[in-house]
Amino acid sequence: MFLQKQQILNKEIESFDFQSGGEASSNLKNILNKLGVPSQIVRKTAIITYELEMNVVIHSLGGEITALISEDELEIRVDDSGPGIKDLDKAFTVGYSTASNEIREMGFGAGMGLVNVKRYADQIDVKSSKENGTHVKVIISLANKE
Amino acid sequence: MTKKHSVLLKEDKCEGCTNCVKGCPTKAIRVHQGKAWIKEDLCIDCAECIRVCEYHAKYTEPDQLTEIMETSEYPVLLIPPSFYSQFSAEISSEKIKKAIENLGFKAVFDVADAAAALSRKTLDFLNNHSGSYISTSCPVIVRLIKIQFPDLIEMLIPLKSPVELIAERVVRKFKEEKNIDPDIFFLTPCPAKLTTVNRSIGQQSSFLSGAIGVENIYQEIYEALNEVELEELEDKLITLATIWGSEGGEESILKSWQDINTISVSGVKEAKKLLNEIERNNIPEEVKYFEITSCINGCIGGVLNVINPFQAQFNLEQRIKKIRDTMQKYNIESEKKDDEFYNFALSEKIKADNVSKLDSDFKKAMQKLELLQKEIDKLPGLDCAACGAPDCKTFAEDVINGRANRADCIFMLRKQLGKLADDLSILAHELPPVMASKEEEADDS
Repeated sequence: MFLQKQQILNKEIESFDFQSGGEASSNLKNILNKLGVPSQIVRKTAIITYELEMNVVIHSLGGEITALISEDELEIRVDDSGPGIKDLDKAFTVGYSTASNEIREMGFGAGMGLVNVKRYADQIDVKSSKENGTHVKVIISLANKE
Repeated sequence: MTKKHSVLLKEDKCEGCTNCVKGCPTKAIRVHQGKAWIKEDLCIDCAECIRVCEYHAKYTEPDQLTEIMETSEYPVLLIPPSFYSQFSAEISSEKIKKAIENLGFKAVFDVADAAAALSRKTLDFLNNHSGSYISTSCPVIVRLIKIQFPDLIEMLIPLKSPVELIAERVVRKFKEEKNIDPDIFFLTPCPAKLTTVNRSIGQQSSFLSGAIGVENIYQEIYEALNEVELEELEDKLITLATIWGSEGGEESILKSWQDINTISVSGVKEAKKLLNEIERNNIPEEVKYFEITSCINGCIGGVLNVINPFQAQFNLEQRIKKIRDTMQKYNIESEKKDDEFYNFALSEKIKADNVSKLDSDFKKAMQKLELLQKEIDKLPGLDCAACGAPDCKTFAEDVINGRANRADCIFMLRKQLGKLADDLSILAHELPPVMASKEEEADDS
């Protein structure tokens, strides 16, 4: 049994790149299906990854997404290079969004991003500062595998 | 005959080109030994390969009229709403049905009646359940979800398709009223419905005995039409659910009763895009129902139809207009009264077909995943399909699963040959020690 997590995905995400936004979540979904991860977990992961990915596209200067897996859990890390989340508590409030009108017109910025991530994740840890950007670490438990 | 699928390969016609390989939405086709074989576990019967093949090497084998008439004692035919798109609206539905009966069928029923009942049931279900649901009526979409979007299976509305509904009802009706065991055949616009005869969705077995393709019987019906005595039979097809045959039909029926948020999409490529967005929660929660059909324009776009889909759409719209007028003339309320005769609920849960799993053991799957990534990195990434697989990634998966040889890739082969040539040349210039001194002597002289 290996407890060491292995990296299964690493992808750079560019700011405002709506064309490829969503690719990381699609790729991760395909990988999890190849590994035989139960479908409910795949769905959760797809939702979480897409939210986090689009947060980087919409709100940040760019960043990267990494996924690591062991037999027991899946870890998703999203690191961007700024400008950070001003009020972290508010970011977890339903309906709170700092997205511009333009972004809202595109159908984003409903203020459900991190709320949804928290809803589906088993653990979430967010660190954010103006200098160092935002770093999200999400854990999804695979323990109740079939 | 328990074939898993209805789309088949005519070996002698296949040129081994990779058009179908590339066009297959589930990457189910590989060219091996110059022929495009379909991998059964991946095929969803969408018929894209039939559409794309220039050599007509992909085909489907429905039941034949003569065979049905020879073997069945009591054949009954079910007609889908889309079938009426194959005729001008000037020809009444009663006349069409009469012509079909004249071919030897004991009775003919409209699937549209069950579609109307199903729509009422669907609305009822949606109003009493939270969450969003996906229509279960297109068997291709159900299969697509089973193999590529297993996490969305729970969203499939657990109701039978109109064809199965009416088939079951007709069987029961004949048994109870006349003590007859009829053989129910479906006049199908697509190979997928043909497959459901043997592999039914969400129930143990189908009530259908077989299916006959529209193209296989169209000419006979046309000829029989000329012989129908009654010139202008009154059109009794009064259900608006006839519109089910085209894209957004189901949606428009639901909306005619209630303001409900729906999205309808047709075409297997668009269907995949929509399912992708649903999967990542990128569709507003207010959308209650998704009507998804695999054929562009809905069932009227089925490959077994005869009339081009544009004209078919026009024909169907004309007929709907006529139905609307008739409904007003007779002031007929919707036929809710006979909904109780249908048994709507699926008896079994729809299950996932996890075909993408690399190994059932997690650790082995992880090892294979690593191998797969290495294999992908080696390949040129041109997706030329000359290896017989649709793209490099799929080929890499075939290689690590032992279903293809790395040298099937012409670029890998060239690399290997180049290396072999280099090695050969080095080897050729390397002389054994005993020879080396002799060569030197020869050079000196």
